[in-house]
Amino acid sequence: MSTGAIHNNIRRLRFEHEEMTQQVLAERVGVTRQTVNAIELGKYSPSLEVAFRIAVVFARPLEEVFQYRRA
Amino acid sequence: MSFREKSAWITFVLLIGFGAYFGELAREWLTPGEPHINHLRLFLALIIAIVVLEVVTHVVLALRSPQDAKAPLDERERLIALRATRPAFYVLLVGAFLSIGTMHLGASTLMLAHCVLLAIWIAELTRFGTQIYQYRRGQ
Repeated sequence: MSTGAIHNNIRRLRFEHEEMTQQVLAERVGVTRQTVNAIELGKYSPSLEVAFRIAVVFARPLEEVFQYRRA
Repeated sequence: MSFREKSAWITFVLLIGFGAYFGELAREWLTPGEPHINHLRLFLALIIAIVVLEVVTHVVLALRSPQDAKAPLDERERLIALRATRPAFYVLLVGAFLSIGTMHLGASTLMLAHCVLLAIWIAELTRFGTQIYQYRRGQ
């Protein structure tokens, strides 16, 4: 089994969306600000549902928000 | 720090406070000639104090951040709660078996009850300690 890690562009996307705060994103996604922070830092991999919700907030396809990179 | 993490810290610290009960028991058991008295009064006083402090601190916490207090657990918080339950369960399991073992060493019913209570206490400390550790790590 190949190993890898999930990366994301949430920080950049927030910046591009009028510097949306983590709190605003968290409220729109339905999680806590701490969870958004953990996802953004790559410490926590969200469920598919939350990943889709984040992508919907930014109006981008999922693969533009999250990428899986092989080690 | 999130509302849930603060809540876990409060409960953890208050649980440590309950250690005073076991400290008193240990002092009594380890002091030769000390009469074995019923500690029901101390036990009830500590339980009432912990419940009152839990309620008061959580009400203050909720008043300071009402939105966070009302919000249901999100998926990461649920995962943290579940992950913390696992080690606590094993601690409780080991504690329960060790408590049963004390019966074979001639322990009284009261002693057995205290051993079970100690196991529950350590398991709860493990649960909230693990939650705090995971919240601190940001996972």
